[in-house]
This record gives sequence, structure tokens and C-alpha cells, in this order.
Amino acid sequence: MYSRLSLCISRTILALSLSALPASAHHGWAGNLDEEFELTGTVERGVSLAGPHATMQLRADGKVWDLTLAPPARTERAGLKEGIIPVGATVTIHGHRNRDANRFEVKTERVTWNGRTFNVYPDRK
Amino acid sequence: MAWLQASALGHAMRESGVWTYGFVNLVHILGVATLFGAVLVLDLRLLGLWRNVTLPAISKPTVPVAATGFVIAVVSGVCLLATKATEYIGNPFLYIKFPAIGLGVLNVVALNCLRAWKQHKSRELSSREQVTLAIFGGISLVCWLTAITAGRMIGYW
Repeated sequence: MYSRLSLCISRTILALSLSALPASAHHGWAGNLDEEFELTGTVERGVSLAGPHATMQLRADGKVWDLTLAPPARTERAGLKEGIIPVGATVTIHGHRNRDANRFEVKTERVTWNGRTFNVYPDRK
Repeated sequence: MAWLQASALGHAMRESGVWTYGFVNLVHILGVATLFGAVLVLDLRLLGLWRNVTLPAISKPTVPVAATGFVIAVVSGVCLLATKATEYIGNPFLYIKFPAIGLGVLNVVALNCLRAWKQHKSRELSSREQVTLAIFGGISLVCWLTAITAGRMIGYW
């Protein structure tokens, strides 16, 4: 009985793992659309250099967008430190939108504010 | 989750430099590797490999190494989770990972209540007892592999 249960559990896990692969939020670009995406809005929550990736939130067209930036150290090296861009400021970002149209998330390569461009992925278009 | 994120630990993880998360992540991986490496050797022995090596000769080093790895993985894991705990709400892999860890721990507790396990260092086990221990070894492997697989997938959701 135990082994049948184990088999069932392991099969479920395998199926779930495989089905979830294209839905990546970070750790790669596969979960995001290939086409370039640009968005202008106001800063809802400023840059946070915590966690596996730096993040910030933007309000545009009445929606709050989650921006996934580069890893914290890399984002900081690009000059995008916490507190530099104030909440409420208007910024334009460039990156790749999440493949899931219901998720307002952008893997962000560049942030432009007040004439300055923070290029957290300079080797990407 | 919100409480964990707002805790002193969550603040410390977020406000102590851009390398903190990466470093704690490294510690977590080392903990998981230590735990699983030891568990794998013991479970394979319980399942019938290396019968010419006595069980006590394998359980003696692997059990404390696995326990040490488990503690390291739990402590570092709580730190990682506290960084942005609320972001993991709704992540299905978390709801696979934690029950799998719970079952793995329950399996260890149950094993330790077993007479065959308690006495394996002092006497030969019957073939029936060896089968019982093999079942525990199999369940253990499934639990930890599930926990590690689901854990790895959390970031890809």
C-alpha cells in the first residue's frame, strides 16, 4: 500500500514539475514573451534590493505591475539603488511581459526616470 | 506569512546587503546536499544495496550527518522564506514541499519507534524486519526527492 501511494505521489510531482516549467517568474526568460515591451507609469512601490531578484511596482492604466529586475547586486551595480526613484515618480520601463496575460509582471531590462536610464541587463536588447 | 515577513528576521534578510540572499541560498543548498546525500546512502542500504556492509556501519555516520543537514536547511530555509514570505502565497510547489518534509519527518519518527530499528545495532534482523525497514527507506526517498523537486520549482512558478 505504501509503495503504491509513493508511486502515485512521485508521478503527481513529476507531472506538476513538467507542466510548470514554462511558467517561470524568475530564473530565466522562458516564462516571458519574446517581443519587446514598454510601459510608462508611476512608481507604486520603490526599488527593493531584497530576495533573489530586485523588484519594484508600477501603476499604469489603473493596474499595478510587478517589475522583476536583475539580481540585487547587479541591479545595484547598474546604479538602481533603493530610494533613488521616489514613489509617485513617472518612469518608463523596457523588458519582457509575462506569457500569462492575466499576470501583470514584466522582467525588466531598463528603467528610465528623469532623463536617466538604469540598464540592469546591458547585454540584452 | 505576513507575520514572518514583518518579523525581525525578515527585516534583517532584506536590509543587510545585496549578497545576503545569495549567501543564505548557498547555505540552504549545502544543508539540503548534506541531508540528501546521507539519506540517499542510508535509504539505498535499507532497500537492499551493499548488503555486505552491515547496517550499523552505514547508519552510524549517515544519521548524524543527515540530521545536521536538516537543521542547516531548516534554519536557512526559514530565512529565505522570511525575505518575501507573502510572495509565496498561492505558489503550488510550496504546498507540495512542506507536506513532503512533514511526511519525511513523520517517517523518521515512526522509524525510531520501530523495534527493528531500535535493535539493529545489537542483533541480526529477520528478513521480515529488513523488508519493513526497506519500506521506510523507500518512503523516505520519495518524501525527500519530492521536497527537493518542489523546492527547486518554487522559483520557476
